[in-house]
Amino acid sequence: MIKQDLNELEERSIFIMREAKSKFKNVAALWSMGKDSTTMLALARKAFLGKVPFPVIHIDNGIDFPETYAFREYLARKWNLDLIIAKSQIKPEMSGFACCGENKTVALKKLMVERGFDALIVSIRRDEHGIRAKERYVSPRDTDFKWDYKNQRAEMWDDYASKNDTKGHVRVHPLLDFNEIDIWSYIKKEKVPINPLYFSRNGYRYRSLGCTHCTSKVKSSAKSIDDIIKELETTETEERAGRDQDKEKAYVMERLRSLGYM
Amino acid sequence: MMINKVTLLGHKDHGKSTLLGSLLIATGSVTEQRINEARKTSRQLGRQFEPGYILDSFQEERENEMTIDTTRAQIKYKDAAFEFIDVPGHEELIKNMMSGASYADFALLLVSAKPEEGIKDQTKRHLFLAKMMGIKKIVVAVNKMDTVKYNEKRFKEIKTELSEFLEKIGFGNNDLDFIPISAYNTENLVKKANTIKWYAGGSLLDTLYKFARGSPTEGESNKMRIVLQGELPDKKEKTLIGKVISGTVRTGERVKLVPGSSHYRVKALFVKGAKAKSAKTSENIAITLDKKMAEDARGRILCSENDNLSATDDIDALVFFTSAIGGNTTIRFNGIEIPAKVDIRATVNVVTGNTEKSKKIKPLNAANIRLSLGESIAAEPFSKTMELGRFVLYSNREFAGIGIIKE
Repeated sequence: MIKQDLNELEERSIFIMREAKSKFKNVAALWSMGKDSTTMLALARKAFLGKVPFPVIHIDNGIDFPETYAFREYLARKWNLDLIIAKSQIKPEMSGFACCGENKTVALKKLMVERGFDALIVSIRRDEHGIRAKERYVSPRDTDFKWDYKNQRAEMWDDYASKNDTKGHVRVHPLLDFNEIDIWSYIKKEKVPINPLYFSRNGYRYRSLGCTHCTSKVKSSAKSIDDIIKELETTETEERAGRDQDKEKAYVMERLRSLGYM
Repeated sequence: MMINKVTLLGHKDHGKSTLLGSLLIATGSVTEQRINEARKTSRQLGRQFEPGYILDSFQEERENEMTIDTTRAQIKYKDAAFEFIDVPGHEELIKNMMSGASYADFALLLVSAKPEEGIKDQTKRHLFLAKMMGIKKIVVAVNKMDTVKYNEKRFKEIKTELSEFLEKIGFGNNDLDFIPISAYNTENLVKKANTIKWYAGGSLLDTLYKFARGSPTEGESNKMRIVLQGELPDKKEKTLIGKVISGTVRTGERVKLVPGSSHYRVKALFVKGAKAKSAKTSENIAITLDKKMAEDARGRILCSENDNLSATDDIDALVFFTSAIGGNTTIRFNGIEIPAKVDIRATVNVVTGNTEKSKKIKPLNAANIRLSLGESIAAEPFSKTMELGRFVLYSNREFAGIGIIKE
């Protein structure tokens, strides 16, 4: 995994978030309390001189890890976040594709309508998944949340989508260029607070965090940020190897995303 | 590590995605899991293994064996790193190709050596666009050499014809290199292939490496140019945000707003959220001034007080049209959208490089135009300051092309 220039990545993220805030009236961000969206908040604090100037949304299906909830309370207080908790109900008979699609997407849709958000910051990265690699920095969604991936808008240079380019909302992706290893290097450099589940306990750690039902640990002895960076320099497994969602039939991510999933 | 961004170019089916897939596998830049997934898909579709599936992730892309949208992949070679930007070769997907290529430092063009393939209109169109977008160096890989028995004559034929065209549109000999390869067989990609004995140059990655290490870009302006994005929300004191696109700025310095007539003194600067004495090129800053700015900051430029940068509403430009225009035409320039009247002076045939008398816009072709804008902008020639010398053209809210401002 290639370690990129953190300075360059940071500048681009700041630029993208400031563009979003300047061009859209009602910006919000998704926060899963994972490493990527927490890094995004750290970057937002830099872009906007110490304050996150938009609400952060946790789509809470009630089955996240206890550590994740504790971390949410801790950081929301520490960084004075405008936290919105969007409750979603999971149904016992559902799992994987149906569950992520139904719970997360439906709860998000409801909230977006209620609050009238026109831009949503989402901390996806290109190196996570082949489908996410195809994204734009700013990507329009229609009123049904659909991603028209077969006909994406032209994104020349820094000319990101504006209000005129969408009937629904836009997804803003300030971390698109980061690799997994860059996230950890940035967390180290900036001392970003992080969910403890990422560190090894009894020979296993979470490398990608979802909810308790569909996320499993990977074998690892990495007990510190430095250990994780060292592990990623030589790893042969995919980041989302512990996510059930990605293991079902082919093109699950494509279908989920085209329907409005993050 | 700094990343060299390389866009692929070339006609559809000349092997762009296959090349990138092969490079990823040969350099160990992709996990076994990703390769196996591509193998599985190839089998399910009843086809031979296609390395391009590592990049082409959409179901539609794999089933139809075509790239629909741009994607990126990174490769480390010696002490350099490359980010390859894969793009679609189909004419109707040119906006996706342009979106990818607009981020590139240099280009890797693919031409198939097969007799029935060879140099196409689209091959030349991509090169014309690369030149317009400011790409300075091009590596031409003549692909599928295995299908013509590694014939040197065929390689030279393509090299001669393309060299002439490239020279015509403004690339110098030092900015070019030609290399014979077989992407599918991984020949001449990482290591030199012994099947092509007559070829004296290095492998593809060696050639790119040489370019990456080349001289820094010349002629870049060091004059202070700050593009303003707007202002920070909820601040007691008006705090502007923007990006330094060239030069440096210091606290206490006198600056001028363009368009506008006011002069200011820089009171405070913030870089990455912290107070700073100065800021340099490519930094995103926050800035406070000694007096209140009456104008809306977005899309305006701050420069040194004695700079001769001025605003204009009349612009001469070279435009590449992706579609015909009509009705409501606008340009997008540094974050703002401005109504524009387009007057065609002469069309430019992107396949021949010739200027033609016709004043009728042909999609996928270019023209020299005069733009009359609804309001003034701080424009400069593209050759001087790239960010202030380029714009995106919209017609009836649809993307219609890109333009660069002439001297």
